[in-house]
Amino acid sequence: MSEMDIHLTVNGNPHKVQAEPAKTLLCVLREDVGLTGTKDGCSSGDCGACVVLLDGRVVNSCMVLAPQADGARITTVEGLAVNGQLHPLQRAFAETWAFQCGFCTQGMLISCYALLLSNENPSREEILIAIAGNFCRCTAYQNVVKAVQQAAAEIRERGNREGIPHA
Amino acid sequence: MHESSVVGQWVSAPGAEDIVTGKARYCPDIQLPGMLTGKLLYSPHVRARIKNLDVSKAKDIPGVYAVITHADIPGENSYLYAYPDQPLLAVDEVRFQGDAVAAVAAVDEKTADAALEAIAVDYEVLSGIFDPLEAMKPGADQVVAGQSNVMMQMTYTSGDVEAALASADVIVENTYRTQWAEHAFLETEGGVARVDDEGVVTVWSSCQAPHRDRMQIARSLGLAESMVRVITPYIGGAFGGKDEAHVQIHAALLAYAARRPVRLIRGRRESMLTHVKRHPMIVHCTTAASKDGRLLAVRARVIADAGPYSNATHEVLNKFGEFIGGPYKVPNLEVEKIAVRTNNPITGAFRGFGAPQAAFVYESQMDDLARKLGMDPLEIRLLNGVETGTQLFTGVVVREGRAMKASLRKAAEMIAWEKRDQCERSPAGHLRRGWGMATILKGAGLGRGLADHAGVLLEMHRDGSLVINSAAADMGQGIITLMAQLAAERLGLDLSCVRIDRADTAKAPDAGASCASRQAMVSGNAVLIAADEIRDTLLSLAARKIKVSKDRLDLRNGRLLVDGEIHDLTVQNLAERASVWGYPLHAQSRYHLEYPDDAPEVAYRFSSEFFQFCTQIAQVLVDCETGQVKVEKLVAVHDAGKIINPGGVYGQIEGGVAQGIGYALSEELVVVEGHTLNASLENYVIPMALDFPELDIHVLEMPELAGGPLGAKGVAEGPIIPTAPAIRNAILDAIGKPLYQLPMNAERVLAALNP
Repeated sequence: MSEMDIHLTVNGNPHKVQAEPAKTLLCVLREDVGLTGTKDGCSSGDCGACVVLLDGRVVNSCMVLAPQADGARITTVEGLAVNGQLHPLQRAFAETWAFQCGFCTQGMLISCYALLLSNENPSREEILIAIAGNFCRCTAYQNVVKAVQQAAAEIRERGNREGIPHA
Repeated sequence: MHESSVVGQWVSAPGAEDIVTGKARYCPDIQLPGMLTGKLLYSPHVRARIKNLDVSKAKDIPGVYAVITHADIPGENSYLYAYPDQPLLAVDEVRFQGDAVAAVAAVDEKTADAALEAIAVDYEVLSGIFDPLEAMKPGADQVVAGQSNVMMQMTYTSGDVEAALASADVIVENTYRTQWAEHAFLETEGGVARVDDEGVVTVWSSCQAPHRDRMQIARSLGLAESMVRVITPYIGGAFGGKDEAHVQIHAALLAYAARRPVRLIRGRRESMLTHVKRHPMIVHCTTAASKDGRLLAVRARVIADAGPYSNATHEVLNKFGEFIGGPYKVPNLEVEKIAVRTNNPITGAFRGFGAPQAAFVYESQMDDLARKLGMDPLEIRLLNGVETGTQLFTGVVVREGRAMKASLRKAAEMIAWEKRDQCERSPAGHLRRGWGMATILKGAGLGRGLADHAGVLLEMHRDGSLVINSAAADMGQGIITLMAQLAAERLGLDLSCVRIDRADTAKAPDAGASCASRQAMVSGNAVLIAADEIRDTLLSLAARKIKVSKDRLDLRNGRLLVDGEIHDLTVQNLAERASVWGYPLHAQSRYHLEYPDDAPEVAYRFSSEFFQFCTQIAQVLVDCETGQVKVEKLVAVHDAGKIINPGGVYGQIEGGVAQGIGYALSEELVVVEGHTLNASLENYVIPMALDFPELDIHVLEMPELAGGPLGAKGVAEGPIIPTAPAIRNAILDAIGKPLYQLPMNAERVLAALNP
């Protein structure tokens, strides 16, 4: 299979990579763009470890072929912190032990980040729905709910939703 | 003693920022110059003779740097540490779906796949042996030629069970069946290996026991252990499934053969087909009691399907037998443990080491007994529960047993057990609600007579910062956080002044495996000993400098305290002086789990003496039309001794409950004639966020008299153990029908409803 040019904007930075059409966005991000924060837990769209934002949509990047992402804006976990300042969600995840091994965390963070872009005060139920496709084997989900609500409260208090990058 | 500033506080894990920013490197993220992709060729048959194996075509493919078979292994062709009977690469026969016959290393995945395709194996397919009950019969076809299919058969007896059964007023007798269960750690097994110019082999290994990996890698490469270095990068979960070596030895063999770095990561399907599972067991159990509800005897016979190789089967069955009496006073007990070789998946360590299967049996028996006696499930447990000073049937005397009954009472209070009948039992015609409890004990630590020790190295620098070098693997459970907290506490440091690297055999002494809920106890104590040595140096120096006796001094928040008052001198000042005056500020220590000198020699081999007690109560809603069970609410009360790292403790409990719910209701590897049919995260059904109940956790702190640091004890395994029987008993309460087989999926619940 011949390779094709794929143009991506990843966390605000433009990238041009050459990839076979059957290559997944996950592999492009990890191998060609060099961002390994996005993880491969199953390669079959079942675990959510590879979740990224594609033009604002939450997708399992292992289920997206590179050509489908051509021209898209992608947000990965590496894009959440701005100028070295952690996003409130990142801080809250660390403080509340919303993970143990951390292998699901990158995908979990993106799902929660996407939720907060559209919902500034999510309920427990809404958070559980947002992370319904993110599998965590170590810690389960209660501390994730706690972390998201803590971060949401912080963002509201600051009244500074513009501060969220790539919104 | 002042109030703790670090211990017991919610602190972020060292490395948490790397995780939330995506910088943390796990095995699949490691990239070395010239690195090759390693892959294994597995047998498509679960039992076959290898008539011919030809790898020549694969070797000729451009971009293929190494193709190895069993003949290319310079040292021992074995994985295992206890009974090394599983080959790394099959010799003349394959015995289960995960037996590999060859390994390749190539420039990329595509080329590696092409190499696997080009390997020609001529198999003579043999008929497999899949039913352990058939396999254990005399004269049965042997899974491993020349060896009995009965891998182990041991009986332990305490008291006179026969006489007790004869005198009993009530007897319950049932047969229980449990399933193959999958760890499903989110990061699959992986290893990265590199051979440097001096011939030293470095392996980054996703594992629980770096020093034991080193031993196994050296043994198979035919090298001295000093020529092998094992580093654990970030590890994406393990739960016992990475306790034994998996692909890291193959990665090292390939790197050695190719003379280039090799990364070998299992795919999800490959992982599910090849690594050890929780043992499926068939348990026949008889429990006898007097009419007032006192336990008189337990007799259990377990037959475990081991698959073809030993793995941790002996250890798992040993622990099954040790805990089959539950947290109860059982005056007479007999347990027969049988493990049988088959051509089914291999089985081994998985959180709890046989205790979850045992608890499903004894806690189901307790509720069946209570029903027969017309007693309340809480009452019969309180009546029979162990206490401080109780001698268990193993011969071990419980040194701190208050948590048994305290956890029962607390859990009952949290769910309002006494008032449960005020809740709607049938919110709709087809729905039935019920409540069930289970309470357990599980050892922490490997057990008496086993090498249960850990070493650690601490060094304080002249600026007061501290480095901890430990080889205790952190798979997420939080051991490095706990060690950093203990050192910070003793040395009066802010946690940010403590650096703890991930396990590396070249930097730190052996800490043993991160298993059996042991690291908090052994590595935790080792850190305390080493930190106290440095602390003593600092305080001696301060005493000399300011001319007050040492016992009036303390270190806290980076400062020296004199009689509790802040002094001008800081920890940094003291460290600087120590450096200038030539006092050593490094310490190495080793801690061996202590057993009391006055304890009698116990009868049961390798018994634990430190116990985790936990009680869980589940509230379920059963749909009698579909058979589906919803866990509406669950309360979990666990004794942590003393909480050092609350994030780790609560995380372990919640995660254990989640795994327990899956084990109870949905998780089951469907294995037909040795082949796993549902080797994917889609078809192996694990509860996700929306399946999770309202969970209320309470942690009791009843410090052990000895054992872990500051009275703490391990909590890793306890939480998964009571969940399945609690749910089973809740289903029984809801529909009035007992279930005897895991998982209790809709099909089995419907079958119980409509026999």
